[in-house]
Amino acid sequence: MGNKINIWFLSSLLISMIVAIPIVTVFSSFFEPTSDYLSIVKNTFLYEYISNSIILVIGVLITTFVIGVGSAYLVSFYKFPGVNFFKWVLILSFAVPAYIYAYSLTAFFENYGTAFSIMKSLFGDGNYNSFLPKFDGMLGAIISISFSLFGYVYVLTRTSFHYQSQNLLELGKNLGFSTKKTFFNIILPSARPAIIAGLSLVAMETLSDFGAVSFFGISTLTTGIYDAWISFDDLALANRISFFLLIFIFGLFYLENLSRKKAQYHSPAKGNFKTKTLKQLNGYKSLMAIIFCSFVFLASFIFPVLQMLYWTIKFPKHFIDLNIIELLSNTLILVFLSGFLLIFLSFVSNYGNRISKNKLLNILTTFSITGYAVPGIILAVAFITFISWFDENIFYFFDIKQIFIGSILGLVTVYFVRFYSLANNGIKSGYLKINYSIDESAYLLGYSKLKTFLNIHIPYLKNSVLLIAILLSIEIIKELPITLIMRPFNFETFATQAYIFASQDLLEAAAAPSLLLIMIASIFILITSKYMFKDK
Amino acid sequence: MKKITLLALILFFFAKMSLAGEVNVFSARHYDSDIQLYEKFTNKTGIKVNVVSGKDKALQKRITEEGKDSKADLYITADAGRLGAFDEKGMFQNSMSAQIKALVPANFRSDNWTGIAKRARIIYYSPERVSSEDLKGITYESLSDSKWKGKIVIRKSNNIYNQSLVASLIKNNGKEQTLEWAKKLVSNFARNPKGNDRAQILAVAAGEADLAIANTYYYALMLSGQKGEDQKEAAQKVLPYFPNQNDRGTHMNISGGGILKNSPNPENAKKLLEFLLTKEAQQHMVNNTFEYPMIEGVEPHHLIKKMGENFKQDLKTKVGDYKKNQADALEVMLMSGWK
Repeated sequence: MGNKINIWFLSSLLISMIVAIPIVTVFSSFFEPTSDYLSIVKNTFLYEYISNSIILVIGVLITTFVIGVGSAYLVSFYKFPGVNFFKWVLILSFAVPAYIYAYSLTAFFENYGTAFSIMKSLFGDGNYNSFLPKFDGMLGAIISISFSLFGYVYVLTRTSFHYQSQNLLELGKNLGFSTKKTFFNIILPSARPAIIAGLSLVAMETLSDFGAVSFFGISTLTTGIYDAWISFDDLALANRISFFLLIFIFGLFYLENLSRKKAQYHSPAKGNFKTKTLKQLNGYKSLMAIIFCSFVFLASFIFPVLQMLYWTIKFPKHFIDLNIIELLSNTLILVFLSGFLLIFLSFVSNYGNRISKNKLLNILTTFSITGYAVPGIILAVAFITFISWFDENIFYFFDIKQIFIGSILGLVTVYFVRFYSLANNGIKSGYLKINYSIDESAYLLGYSKLKTFLNIHIPYLKNSVLLIAILLSIEIIKELPITLIMRPFNFETFATQAYIFASQDLLEAAAAPSLLLIMIASIFILITSKYMFKDK
Repeated sequence: MKKITLLALILFFFAKMSLAGEVNVFSARHYDSDIQLYEKFTNKTGIKVNVVSGKDKALQKRITEEGKDSKADLYITADAGRLGAFDEKGMFQNSMSAQIKALVPANFRSDNWTGIAKRARIIYYSPERVSSEDLKGITYESLSDSKWKGKIVIRKSNNIYNQSLVASLIKNNGKEQTLEWAKKLVSNFARNPKGNDRAQILAVAAGEADLAIANTYYYALMLSGQKGEDQKEAAQKVLPYFPNQNDRGTHMNISGGGILKNSPNPENAKKLLEFLLTKEAQQHMVNNTFEYPMIEGVEPHHLIKKMGENFKQDLKTKVGDYKKNQADALEVMLMSGWK
């Protein structure tokens, strides 16, 4: 087929270009004049941004590794009371965004917070503040982000265990290994690519987190770009920080891709897959397994839900005042519009790549998926900057600012940039499973390209599309910084409403929208759980 | 693609469909009570108020980038330094009417923006551990005294209220002297700065520190019981103290707004701003946000009154000057090791 330029090629080229806008914008302003912001401040900040980001990422990686791999190991290899329950409730943590976790953590453990009230009502007056642990600052950020992201490690590790775990335990036993040795020498290495893939996703999300770190007042590379660019108008500093951030992220991206390839290589073909026998745990070992899994479930999901529920019940006024119908319809409109657009255009782009087999296009697509790695807040501002530049310098005869800034269309466009890699990769991995010979047979039967696409590809990919659609929905429901900057007048979602109250130090008023957000995301997750683990 | 084009067109027309009488507010103040005020304004005048709320600087960036096509009429935020900085970029128009100038004292406004409510940044102490004798004549400056070693809590240096407070000290005492002061203050910290203003007051109640520096409305918010009974009781263990009463007065800051340079509805924006400065609106505002009223003849919330009614406010330092010294303030704080 060669390098034919056709409609498919052109449309996927266009998509890739749109997605690449923010990165190009950030770097093209590299040589613009900057404010001479005091150099001492710059240097202090830069050092702090980098060191804080490193501490944060390491802390989160260790925590998510322990709870993600630990719980995946237990539910994949052992039988104990409640194991089937834990298997799926552990993914509910996806419903809780890190910033809402941060609100709960602060409210519960602060001086005279919820924990204090509980102690007081149980044991009467006392100075409980001095011995209740304080989870704030860096520690608070690490905990909040870890519990809201460990799901990535859990899901990927569990899937990997599932596909290759026929008799790893037995193998260890035959070799005379202790359980510990089996775990470290056989089981862990077998899932290494999946674990690394999960951890790289966690690291990327951690680096681009804005809500939780700014709530705890931790300056990271992401808040640094925000401060430098938006607060101080210092593009040179913003670019310098972006550069560091992108180096981190490209490294992680590379690692993740590499691990994914290995993970595919390691997993055996579907045919020779045996049902594994799970080892029954008894006595105190079984109790320990239950305690570990319960702890993870309680800490990651039940804890923030209960804290929010407690407030909603204690201060019902905030719940009654909330315009739930409007918030719900706004949230769902964004979910449906963006979901539809993302999936439709990912199809077009993937199909374009498939039939044109163009090298340039492939490189461009890979490059453009970095939207997922760039913090949302940076994407939004870069997009606004680009649109005004485009409007003033190229498209000056027609007012495109009005269409894209402060409109649903603009908001959906930036979501598109942000989540395109998620949608695109999901559909790509589905596409890889459809053999090219199927396309050729279709052409032989006289199908047009469009008909091949509609009648053969789409039905084939139905399940992976559904999974992607729901993952996208959860991400969009939780999305905060882009929505905050891009939304039209008088337009609130659950996420922005919760943020607005929280930023006014009215965490108890933020409880009701937070709770509703978690509930809706949970519903979407329950629908997905069927597809997330194919062994059920 | 047809569908998308159609959709784009529909959305475009919705975006364009503006009512004759409306005013667009970009607000970094997120009070529900502000929204209620806008509704009152609409009922009175028939002018619809559209609101986008968000983080202060992000809203500014959006307004700046939208340029002459911006739909924003009125920008409202907390902190005088932020208003001053935005003004310096030429984003506001000269729009303070004679009515506003007559109502708002000159040091809480400029020609291009005005305060709509006030707050004081004051000292809180534990009466159990600190005697009124110790506090007598206390100033922001004297917080550097070594007798407070390990006893003071205040939030981080990246907080804008701290930047304005330190800016006002630089204005009054010079940068070098303020740096010396900041170094000593940092050595008096009871812990590394963390949490918001309310957390500082709670730290004193919990015995982690003896003195806290925080804005006035946080304390009243807790006393009101909106944060639950336990925090109300905690707040009662702590007392407010207004510093610098024997010299220039207590550091004041404002919430305020200005009409934007490219405002499409400047007349309506002016009406809204004037409405926010009426007795009715001011009363509603202070009752809900625990701020001090901007105009004469309005009583603050009774919890605020109880904190001290006739304290001396710093009227010597213009809030409009905070902007000039905020960058220096941040530098001073960072150099002193104020995290």
